[in-house]
Amino acid sequence: MIAHQLALIKRELWEHRSIHVTPAAVALIVTLGVLAMLMLASGFAKELEMAIFGAQNIVGDAERRVALTGFFLMTSWVFLVALMFVTVFYSLDCLYAERKDKSILFWRSMPATDAETVISKLLTAAIVIPAITAVGIWVTHIVNLIVTSIWVSAKGGDAGVLIWGSISLFDNWLAALLIVVASGIWMSPFIAWFLFVSTWASRMPMLMAFMPPIVLGLLEWIVFRTQYFFTTIGTRGDMTPLFHSLSVERFFKEEQWRDGVQNISLLEHMDLVGFVTDPGFWSGLLVCGILTTAAIYVRRYRDDS
Amino acid sequence: MTSLVDARGVSKNFGSTRAVDNVSFEIEKGKILGLIGPNGAGKTTLLKAVLGLTDCEGHLSVLGFDPFRQRKQLMQNICFIADVAVLPRWIKVSQILDYVEAIHPNFSRSRAEGLLQQTKVQAGARVKELSKGMVTQLHLSIIMAIDAKLLVLDEPTLGLDILFRKEFYANLLNDYFDEERTILITTHQVEEIENLLTDIMFINDGKILLDSSMDTLGDTYIELQASGDDAQKARGLGPIAESEMFGKSVMLFEGVSREHLVGLGDIRIPSVADLFVAKIKEARK
Repeated sequence: MIAHQLALIKRELWEHRSIHVTPAAVALIVTLGVLAMLMLASGFAKELEMAIFGAQNIVGDAERRVALTGFFLMTSWVFLVALMFVTVFYSLDCLYAERKDKSILFWRSMPATDAETVISKLLTAAIVIPAITAVGIWVTHIVNLIVTSIWVSAKGGDAGVLIWGSISLFDNWLAALLIVVASGIWMSPFIAWFLFVSTWASRMPMLMAFMPPIVLGLLEWIVFRTQYFFTTIGTRGDMTPLFHSLSVERFFKEEQWRDGVQNISLLEHMDLVGFVTDPGFWSGLLVCGILTTAAIYVRRYRDDS
Repeated sequence: MTSLVDARGVSKNFGSTRAVDNVSFEIEKGKILGLIGPNGAGKTTLLKAVLGLTDCEGHLSVLGFDPFRQRKQLMQNICFIADVAVLPRWIKVSQILDYVEAIHPNFSRSRAEGLLQQTKVQAGARVKELSKGMVTQLHLSIIMAIDAKLLVLDEPTLGLDILFRKEFYANLLNDYFDEERTILITTHQVEEIENLLTDIMFINDGKILLDSSMDTLGDTYIELQASGDDAQKARGLGPIAESEMFGKSVMLFEGVSREHLVGLGDIRIPSVADLFVAKIKEARK
């Protein structure tokens, strides 16, 4: 079972190269952006005491820590946006493309069940793609910290203290991993919906995936003048149970004025217990289970060959 | 003899269309069975039922398994080529070998690589870079490296030129087939496979018109070429089909004793293609 899953997931990575090409492209873009910012900052070197990541007015220890963590969060956010696009396109394509090119007949000639196949695609979308994204975030972070360290050292600063001593690397990295993997699990009902559409739609899976929810939401508004459906879907995106009611603005304000010399811990701001005990977490998994079962059923009983 | 496939009263409907209609047959170990039928006869549907790709009514057992409900177990001992185009175009040759090796317990990678070495297929090439013939060679190499009890081939040489077709069947017979293995094959190019078949089955409108071993075909069916009064006498014996060739009447008889026909003209065993045409025409009367 596990050997089959590994082989099936490996197959997904071979077929959908965007899964690893996209994080690599994002990493390159972010790194080039940082280089551009540093070069831009160096143009105003006389006015700057120490410029880090283009945040020219950062002079205090607390502010520098916020800036460093802020850069990390910004990088992570760019990866999260890319993750969202990759996941949507992958989930909608993975069970549709095999029917379109008729390779489903070859895959089904092998002793892998429809359940194993669909579950491998769900695991790819909900776990593997987020995990690859986390690796992308880590690599980008380390590369950019090295680039910045070189730049700071060239300006006469002590990179060991100013950069490496001002950020909790493993705390931040673990937080990034938890955020992206938690997001995959939290969004699993949407992923399962896309998988269902991917195996069910005869054509235009993208349209088939987005049209029914839009029509349903509009119908609710026209008939009842309410927006519960859109609100429910929309608010799921902010992953509230993981961060409670954390406001990004307040987070930076609080961290900026915090006393002491401790580096910023992102893990402190996360509530994993609250996340896994939230009813939304379990109801999401239930919806994911129902839609995944439906996708397996359609792949099993549909005859497109 | 052991029955690998046991079908009794098998039917399959698509809406109001009856694709397979109350079909019963057995396939024994060590046979090469040709399933022949015109387009829309129900042969692909029947193959899909055998492969567990579609559910059906009636009793169907393949290698002792219910093919639709025990597909995973079945697929460990059965393999099929549905069409030359089904290999995913994006995959590399080495990747497809990796995948089958990980998924199939009866796959021998070294055997597949040995077979591929006899072709021009390179391990680093993607399927989309290969010619149609090379894709078939790749697919056949994979299939032949699987120690399966039943091989199902649905139009395996469709779209290939005569050289590849001949090579395909030669490889199948020389490098794969033995008395422990069974092959079920459908094709329109019936002339090319009739010499390798041990058994034959005709299907039309979802019903089986003929189910016979090739050895006994000549006992049941006789072709007679006759002219003049002899032809007239032969007509009285009730041929199932008659055509004209070079001024002679060519008649096909079913179940008529050879002794009755001797002396009326040239007698021979009909070709599968001629027999097929005659049976289909008879069924459509």
